[in-house]
Amino acid sequence: MHHFALTIVGRDRPGIVAQVTEILFNLGCNIADSSCSILGGQFAMILIIAHPEFIDRASFGAAFQPLEEADLTVALRVLKAGGELHPDLAGEICMISVYGADKPGIVYHVAKVLGEKKINITDLNTKLVGSGQRPVYVMMIEAVLPASVSEQDVDTWIAPLRDQLQVDISVRTIPQVEL
Amino acid sequence: MAVRPVLIYPDPMLKQVAVCVLATDATVADLVQDLVDTMAAAGHSVGIAAPQVGDLRRVAVVDVSASKLGQQQHHHGLLEMINPVIIERSGSRVFREGCMSVPEYTGNVTRAEHIVVEFTDRQGRLRVVESDGFEAVAIQHELDHLDGRLFLDRVSSLKTDVFRRKTR
Repeated sequence: MHHFALTIVGRDRPGIVAQVTEILFNLGCNIADSSCSILGGQFAMILIIAHPEFIDRASFGAAFQPLEEADLTVALRVLKAGGELHPDLAGEICMISVYGADKPGIVYHVAKVLGEKKINITDLNTKLVGSGQRPVYVMMIEAVLPASVSEQDVDTWIAPLRDQLQVDISVRTIPQVEL
Repeated sequence: MAVRPVLIYPDPMLKQVAVCVLATDATVADLVQDLVDTMAAAGHSVGIAAPQVGDLRRVAVVDVSASKLGQQQHHHGLLEMINPVIIERSGSRVFREGCMSVPEYTGNVTRAEHIVVEFTDRQGRLRVVESDGFEAVAIQHELDHLDGRLFLDRVSSLKTDVFRRKTR
């Protein structure tokens, strides 16, 4: 079965999910993994979908036209074989909270350290909170630590950013248990 | 006695509320032994509840002594719990939980850090045990099974916890 990555973004209002999934249901598409969220005033949907017969973009015809007409931006990516499979990310799950007065480069500098150390980010959320005069930036990262990396290592590598960016950072692993 | 097959969701048994074991129930010791055997056969498992092997009686076993996390704390070894009830809970702790009955899915679950659980053991004695940390979490996870509740019913997501709250 061919898989596709579908992203839909538009001004948030009730009914977007219903409109999108009605189209997918009527096409006979399966929704595998998906994540949808409000970002700012926009609602963003990211879905991995599959269809037993569809093989390319053209297979969908004009099915998403009603979404475009409803002011939603639709993008479809055809996945190569195996692109739908979740990699087996073995390792400890690590949560990194970064927050402080808003300034440029918070995400970049933290992500750069993690990327250089080959730490895979599996989830990242940021939000601008606080008042207009005193904006506060909050970032939450979930990452998977390679076997050779400890919570302490991550903290040590990230520590210089506390002064450099004037932010608070905490690093903690979440124990994984099979019960 | 016997290693029993572990039921996998969507087996409807996993969503049933289990019933109290009667004092006259002579076969409960066999069930306890089957749970212990099944848990041991599952290798890295630290607990199992009767509904997971298709028996709707309020029985669960927990043993964190062989696990890495368990070895880092004070624990009670093998706990064989008949009609267990949590009578006190405090604090909170997040673990990324998985479950033998819900393979290939894990989620962050917030549970009490400290609990007091009351139960009857295999010898028929009433016991009251104070438990913390990983062992307490394992007990809460297994006792949930007795109420037809899976960890999926308790997942707390990062986004829900941190970002969905109105800031003003």
